[in-house]
Amino acid sequence: MDVFWFFDWLDTSLLADISKAYGGVFAVVQMFHLLGLALMGGSVLLSDLRFLGVVMTDVPSKVVFDNTQKLFTLALVVLVLSGIFMASAVALKLYYNEAFWAKMAGLGLGILFVYLIRKPLFTRFDHDSISPAAVKVAALCSLTIWFTVAASGRWIGFS
Amino acid sequence: MLNEWLLAFARWLDGFSWSTQLHESFYMYAWIESTHVLTLMVFLGMLFIIDLRMLGFAFTGVPASTIAERLDLPMKIGMTIMVLTGFVLFFAIPVRSTQSIWFRMKVILMIGAIVNALIFRRKMLAAKGSAWDRDAKMPGDLRVGAGLSLGLWSAIVITGRTIAYDWYDCFQKLPYFMYWAAGCVDEMAALDRQGG
Repeated sequence: MDVFWFFDWLDTSLLADISKAYGGVFAVVQMFHLLGLALMGGSVLLSDLRFLGVVMTDVPSKVVFDNTQKLFTLALVVLVLSGIFMASAVALKLYYNEAFWAKMAGLGLGILFVYLIRKPLFTRFDHDSISPAAVKVAALCSLTIWFTVAASGRWIGFS
Repeated sequence: MLNEWLLAFARWLDGFSWSTQLHESFYMYAWIESTHVLTLMVFLGMLFIIDLRMLGFAFTGVPASTIAERLDLPMKIGMTIMVLTGFVLFFAIPVRSTQSIWFRMKVILMIGAIVNALIFRRKMLAAKGSAWDRDAKMPGDLRVGAGLSLGLWSAIVITGRTIAYDWYDCFQKLPYFMYWAAGCVDEMAALDRQGG
């Protein structure tokens, strides 16, 4: 499936008119992208490090998970919206950028992982009933996926 | 006077061959810069969760002092990495950073954030064992501190990001005040000569 049409459309859309013409607006939206990154990274790190038994071990993992999952979803919405705006400024360039597609692959995988596996697992089941090894594997997968997404995202700027 | 001193200091740093090597190396500079930006997740991530707890938006069921104490170490680890990589980034591009209005605003905002954090921290530590430690919302002064912290750090992120833009660099044609604020010593002297 070729999605070139989407990038072609985005490149000449109203969003692109704004993002290309006003560097200041772009920078402010990028600030929200970075704040979203901090919030998402914070919630992923906190919950995964709790599952790995590194931080907040005296607070039940269920409490940590429920609280961070809400922040995660909020951060994801902020990141995707600000991300689409940022992409509109360089839509065609991104279409041919490997780091961008690495990030999109990681992002797609991450969203599927969170909402099809991680969230159902830790919301529907009592955390004590899940094998400790499975909990740790899930935490390591989550950390790896989201770190890859963030790092390849940063690399778009260098490539 | 301060502008001249700062510029002289930046030029002295710029004289080190390491500074040039760092700036010109594609991968090393990009790696350090990426580490600086990605560590936002550790430092600001933890800071935001503490602030959001104080404001009553997250972890309302957990005592505020527990959140603040448990997240203190990861936050400090993130802060240390950000400070170290930040100094290296400055060392790699000392003159342009010194003459960047954004960098200067960022440093002033950081001083504000540090002062706020020191005051906020003292009050937060007093939360332990207090009647309101388990309340969803903290007393007014702690909420003000948390709100200020979120605002200041957001402003630090944006000024950090805009350092990369050259809108107000010294080579641009700017009003005298802007040259002064950015520390464009030579450009100020040129305007002085024209005026005289």
